[in-house]
Amino acid sequence: MTHFVVGLFGDPESALSAAGSIQSADLGTPELMSPVPIEGVEEVLGEKRSVIKRFSLFGAIFGGVSGFLLAAITAVLYAHPVGGRPIITFPPYLIITYELTILFGIIFTVIGFFVSARLPNGLWTSFWKQDENRPYVPEAAVDKFAVSIGCGVDDVQRAETILRIAGAEAIRDGTEGAS
Amino acid sequence: MQGEPNQLKYTDIHEDVVRSIVETGPNYYVALATAFALTLICFFFPWFYQLYYGIGAAGMNHPNVWGTYLASFIFWIGLSHSGTLLSCVLHITNSSWRKAMYRSAEAMTLFSLVVAAMMVMVHVGRPWFIHWTLPYPNQMEMWPNFRSPLLFDVMAITTYITGSTVFIYMGSIPDFAAVRDRTRGWRNTMYSLLSLGWRGTDTEWHRLHWAYTFLAVLIIPLAVSVHSIVSWDFAMSIVPALHQTIFAPYFVVGAIYSGTAGIVTVMFVLRKFMDFGEYITELHFDNLGKLLLVLSLLWSYINIVEVFTGFYSGASGETEALRYRLFGFYAPLYWEMITFCAFLPLLCAFKRFRTSFVPMLYLSIAINIGMYTERFLIVATSLSRQYLPDAWGLYVPSAVEISILVGTLALFTTLFLLFVKIFPSVSMYEVKETMNTPKKIPVAASGGSLA
Amino acid sequence: MSFLDRITEGWRKNRKPGYYENFDYHWAMTIDLDQCSGCGACVTACQAENNLPIVGEDAFVKGREVKWLRLEHYWEGEYPDVKLNVIPMMCQHCDSAPCETVCPVSATYHNQDGLNTQIYNRCIGTRSCAVYCPYEVRYFNYNDHEWDSPLDQQLNPDVSVREKGVMEKCTFCIQRIRQAKDNAKDDGRRRVRDGEVQPACVQTCPSKAMVFGDRNDPKSKVSRSLRDPRAYKVLDELNTNSSVVYLKKVEAER
Repeated sequence: MTHFVVGLFGDPESALSAAGSIQSADLGTPELMSPVPIEGVEEVLGEKRSVIKRFSLFGAIFGGVSGFLLAAITAVLYAHPVGGRPIITFPPYLIITYELTILFGIIFTVIGFFVSARLPNGLWTSFWKQDENRPYVPEAAVDKFAVSIGCGVDDVQRAETILRIAGAEAIRDGTEGAS
Repeated sequence: MQGEPNQLKYTDIHEDVVRSIVETGPNYYVALATAFALTLICFFFPWFYQLYYGIGAAGMNHPNVWGTYLASFIFWIGLSHSGTLLSCVLHITNSSWRKAMYRSAEAMTLFSLVVAAMMVMVHVGRPWFIHWTLPYPNQMEMWPNFRSPLLFDVMAITTYITGSTVFIYMGSIPDFAAVRDRTRGWRNTMYSLLSLGWRGTDTEWHRLHWAYTFLAVLIIPLAVSVHSIVSWDFAMSIVPALHQTIFAPYFVVGAIYSGTAGIVTVMFVLRKFMDFGEYITELHFDNLGKLLLVLSLLWSYINIVEVFTGFYSGASGETEALRYRLFGFYAPLYWEMITFCAFLPLLCAFKRFRTSFVPMLYLSIAINIGMYTERFLIVATSLSRQYLPDAWGLYVPSAVEISILVGTLALFTTLFLLFVKIFPSVSMYEVKETMNTPKKIPVAASGGSLA
Repeated sequence: MSFLDRITEGWRKNRKPGYYENFDYHWAMTIDLDQCSGCGACVTACQAENNLPIVGEDAFVKGREVKWLRLEHYWEGEYPDVKLNVIPMMCQHCDSAPCETVCPVSATYHNQDGLNTQIYNRCIGTRSCAVYCPYEVRYFNYNDHEWDSPLDQQLNPDVSVREKGVMEKCTFCIQRIRQAKDNAKDDGRRRVRDGEVQPACVQTCPSKAMVFGDRNDPKSKVSRSLRDPRAYKVLDELNTNSSVVYLKKVEAER
């Protein structure tokens, strides 16, 4: 079973440096929890890549193609001579294409965000009760910066020491649930 | 960090915002009850009467088949234009002054769109069949006419409502999470559901940043297209004074203009009644004032172009429509519009004016009155003077229309009042970002050395 | 037939430009303004034939009267030297109709007879067609109408009574055209004979100023009338390609 050790910090720099020392001590990649995005996370914990842009691109292309086909195919299936216009009228259909490109781009971006950020998670399904693998620190939503590391029983002591040296204001066992 | 120097701490913001949601004074309930009652009396009852009687309850007649309902529709769509659009532009250009105000600006967008959609329902003759404008497979095997500018509208506004909802919601997830732990009872349940289990991890922040940026990039061209498309409802007709290529930029500029003025109004109200004076400062009014000045100049330019091209065309229909707008029955309204939207905003050239709150409030209200007049004139004057002189007409709104116009304001206010108690109306995490981050406190020093 | 086949067939049939021009019939009308006396019989005939509502005094004052065919009066000169020009104005059944493109639900479209049709059941009442129409010949039902007794007994059973919230306009008496086509089919003929079908206004015109017929038939009376050098279309510069052609009033110089 994985134990989670959570250290609370008052400022982002100490939290970052603690995260860095944990990583360099081969305890795995720690998770940072913070009320604001921390600058410089990627320098310490390595570059992050997300799949969101692929979702957006796919959504936009899908929306554009389906938008044009929707207009064109419905016009062909049920031909209404309208205002002496050709059956597939490009200028107006391009506007439909444009709007649906954006609509599906947005929808897929959201889906991409949920998938890549793994939301909604266990915290959501059980109304923010503790998810075993997702330690949760309420103070991190206000003004504390938390570093959480999941490790085996043997490493708990080491992790706590590293966090304390880095200047943690409090250390808590993330496995048992938020206080 | 480019934030303004202030002494606020993270916890202060947290307390302030949570307080704005949880603590509700009697004034709030009075305001909400008044707004809701007004919505019922001025909006829904007249509308139900109109549904029963027919559009004849409004003042429209033979050449003037469009009236204030459509003017209101354009007005509310226009008002929606600054919230999300401005927020997106400022997000991409990394302007920090946006951060305290964008949540309420986006809410303004959303509720304006809701009201605008309601106005479509009020406007059409048989709203119970409005779903026929949506492309869905049905037993009639009938599809909407994708060549119609009105259908562009349907598509654009649906997309816009979706986009704005998603955008305001995405930006609020961290704040829902922050409020979640400070509330109990039904609020706790609601915020737990809304926050989707946000924990604020570095990965989540990273994903949120990118998703948010992509949304912003998608929404900017969308917002511009929405009002262009609304303008094409008019410009694609062959009615003199409506059939103009300048209409798309004219409407977009007008929309951003009235939307920015709307933001000033909302900022003032929030600042005054929600005690957000520390977050919504003179800086915001100063910047918005500069924006208003630029937009008013643009708007005036386009108006000059419109008048000049109408005059220069020499076509009898165009010149008559132009003459009627400038000197006809509706001329007082025209000159009122010019005064409110072209001359008054020039006061924004003075920094002293921009940074004083009450004059800015009056200016913003005057601009929006002027902009409503603009939309009304576009509909009323052009339709009154079309090609065949035998079918010239005159249109005066009826009591039902005026009541519904007041009712839409009440509807918007009701929605907004509900919003401030549900959404954290100042984006906590982004305001925290603009502040000085907590510094490492030397062990020897005591607290209070944060500054 | 599979879905794909339906698409390909529809595309093959309609992709050629001008699929909308090869109508079975192409009904057209000419109105000789030289012969028109402005008596207004056509207006009354239209009212009786097409179940037009009698809107009453209040609605009339508000400018909501429904007249599919109206007489436009243009006065020239100062009293006592005044001259009245009258021109009957009804739906021009444009081949490039602006009203058709704007309808979001395709409630108005061009049928196989070259007529601009209005489907009351499909109309949702956006009224944009009335704005887009440069001739101002589309009328909106601002409320439900009632016919006082005994007028309710004389409603035409071939024409639907329109409810509130829908747009309506001249149909070239499509019920009569349909009847004539049915008769032609029953008689074993392929086409309707020239002069067999007449809208109510044409039938009523005491001075025979109005001529109605099939423009596709070069020998029809209306085709001959169309070749008249006096022929002109109202607002022709808007390129609406209207089907109603007026013959100019010719006057001696004074």
